[in-house]
Amino acid sequence: MIKKPGWIKRIFSDVEDYHKTMTSPERYRRFRRTLSLVMIAAFLIPLILTTMLSYYEYRSQMLANLRWNAESAKRTIETFLTELQTVLIYTANEHTYEELVDQNNLKKLYHRLKSHYPGVVDLGIIDHKGIQRAYAGPYELAGKNYSDRECFKAATVSKTFIGMVEMGYRKVPHFVIAVNFFSKNTGQNWVFRASIDATTLDKYIDKIGTGPLSDIFLVSRKGEPLLQSSSQLFGPPLSPYPFELPHNRIGITISEERGVWDYVVLKAVSYIEGTPWALVLLKHGYLYGKDWSFFKARLFFIVMISTILALFVILQITKLFVGRIFEADEKRESMMAEIEHTSKLASIGRLAAGIAHEINNPLAIISAKTGLIMDLLEISEDFKYKKKIGSEIHGTSNAVERCKVITHRLLGFARRMDVSLESISINNLMQEVLSFLDQEALYRGIHVDLELGDSLPVIESDRGQLQQIFLNLVNNAIDAVGKDGKVTIKTKMRDQNSIQIDVTDNGKGIPQNIISHIFEPFFTTKDSAEKKGTGLGLFITYGIIKKLGGHISVRSSVGVGTTFTVTLPIKINLSRRAHDVESESPGG
Amino acid sequence: MSKVKVLVVDDEIEFATTLAERLNIRGFEATACFCTEDAIALIHAKDIPDVVLLDLKMPHMDGMEALEEIKKYNPTIEVIMLTGHGGGIPLIGAARQKHSPFDCIMKPADINDLTAKINQAMAKRQTAINKGEGE
Repeated sequence: MIKKPGWIKRIFSDVEDYHKTMTSPERYRRFRRTLSLVMIAAFLIPLILTTMLSYYEYRSQMLANLRWNAESAKRTIETFLTELQTVLIYTANEHTYEELVDQNNLKKLYHRLKSHYPGVVDLGIIDHKGIQRAYAGPYELAGKNYSDRECFKAATVSKTFIGMVEMGYRKVPHFVIAVNFFSKNTGQNWVFRASIDATTLDKYIDKIGTGPLSDIFLVSRKGEPLLQSSSQLFGPPLSPYPFELPHNRIGITISEERGVWDYVVLKAVSYIEGTPWALVLLKHGYLYGKDWSFFKARLFFIVMISTILALFVILQITKLFVGRIFEADEKRESMMAEIEHTSKLASIGRLAAGIAHEINNPLAIISAKTGLIMDLLEISEDFKYKKKIGSEIHGTSNAVERCKVITHRLLGFARRMDVSLESISINNLMQEVLSFLDQEALYRGIHVDLELGDSLPVIESDRGQLQQIFLNLVNNAIDAVGKDGKVTIKTKMRDQNSIQIDVTDNGKGIPQNIISHIFEPFFTTKDSAEKKGTGLGLFITYGIIKKLGGHISVRSSVGVGTTFTVTLPIKINLSRRAHDVESESPGG
Repeated sequence: MSKVKVLVVDDEIEFATTLAERLNIRGFEATACFCTEDAIALIHAKDIPDVVLLDLKMPHMDGMEALEEIKKYNPTIEVIMLTGHGGGIPLIGAARQKHSPFDCIMKPADINDLTAKINQAMAKRQTAINKGEGE
């Protein structure tokens, strides 16, 4: 047998135990419960683990996607701004300060630039004092003083400057790119300034294409956060942005916004270097065109359906499985009980025959001695107590005779094991048996009913012994009825290989407490005073039926009657019978 | 006509002597012997019985072996087995046995049945002697 691990043994301790003790419904219920729980756990644990793994895998994939989207958006904006700055620097380097402060030159340059970059609103040249010396654009801004404006101050410090989106003098949202140069002719610094329409940013951001149900925009990072490009959620540029920006200025910060909308919103924020902006990407929990909550609901639905199905299947399987075990155990137990009963009877048989044999020798001596005394009395002359002694000895002799009947029946049992086989019609045999008992039944007013099965096959068995079996059973039935009753003898096919004979009476019945003893030797319910029974009839009947390869069973209920059922094989298995004779013969 | 000589062989002394006595009362010339070895010695000493009543189960040499010895010495001597042994009779028919007893009677036997059997056995022996077998 395979050695089971300790924990399995502990879980199934019920199953282990039931082999040792009798079956009880509670034990099977417990076993079924334990088995169901173990199977459910074995099913649910991997299911839950897989589900959780899918959930987290889905989530991390979604976050990675968001990060990638934010990074590519940031790169697009940076590339656009770098390109603009390069164009300004390149243009300024191609011309001298004096050429550029010429209004006509600047206008030409403006138109050339505008044809490539339609987002350029105007250009301006600011001298070292902050006065706009030349201006090209749709507004009248020449001569304006920029000395206190941030674009001028910052550009003079850090060479290049990109400003926040503002309305300014133009009253349209725009931002400024300013580059600081040094004029060798004048020996002074000057600033080349370009205003860019803020909607240009929208166009670039639109090109990024982060997918549906997402919002991407720029937010000012100084002071109160204001939109720098239009947002689907928060409106046009310069509208307030309701959230705080993260403190972490390096890389991409990803967080979840809950409670603002009906759904969870994933947020990626990245600061764009060299600008006063932060790029914000908002994404409705969404991937591969499927709603995040729908994904969760679907996952939950699959888990629930699988669990319900599994529960149903597991409960049905355990019910079936435990039911089968229960049936098998019951069958095993009844078989064990029958084997025990058979072997008990065989042991009792051997014991009885052994005792009969041991008693037989002293009985032979007593018999011989009483015989001799009677012989001597017969040949001796008359004396005072001759008659009395004769009568006493006769009594002794009768008692010895009674003992002899018992010992000879028991010992004869062994002799009867010598089976001589012939073909027998069981229906004819039953009629023969009844012919012996007809008169007795008639005398007692007992109706004997023969229900003989049609076309029963001829069986191979021992005629004399079968006669003895059925004489005994029918005789017992008549005795059980007593007077004015009914005895039914029914013959039929039991299965392909055997026939069945039922002997039923409507007598007083056998109480349950003694029914298991009726096949034991010297057990009788017949009144001993009537000297009807030695208690060996059913014992011998049982033994003969076993030797003939058959089976006998009894069903009885007190006050209703008793049925003895004899099963006989159509063909005797000789090897099996020989084995039975060896193992069950009472011997001598 | 001379009496029929009967040898009763049984290790149960009381049984053997009583049975011999009862047979003597009934006009047989019966002798009791308590072991098979003595019985065979007696036969070898030319005290030939007509019929031997032989117990089946005895110490040392059992009834069946004794039967073989007796029949080997004189096949006309008839042997009736006595047994207190239920399973004894089928054994006697066993193939390894060269000789068969005249009959086998279960103890305790009715004296009239027994004397009838002895007379039948004697008649058989007489026929055999007349045919010139043995002796």
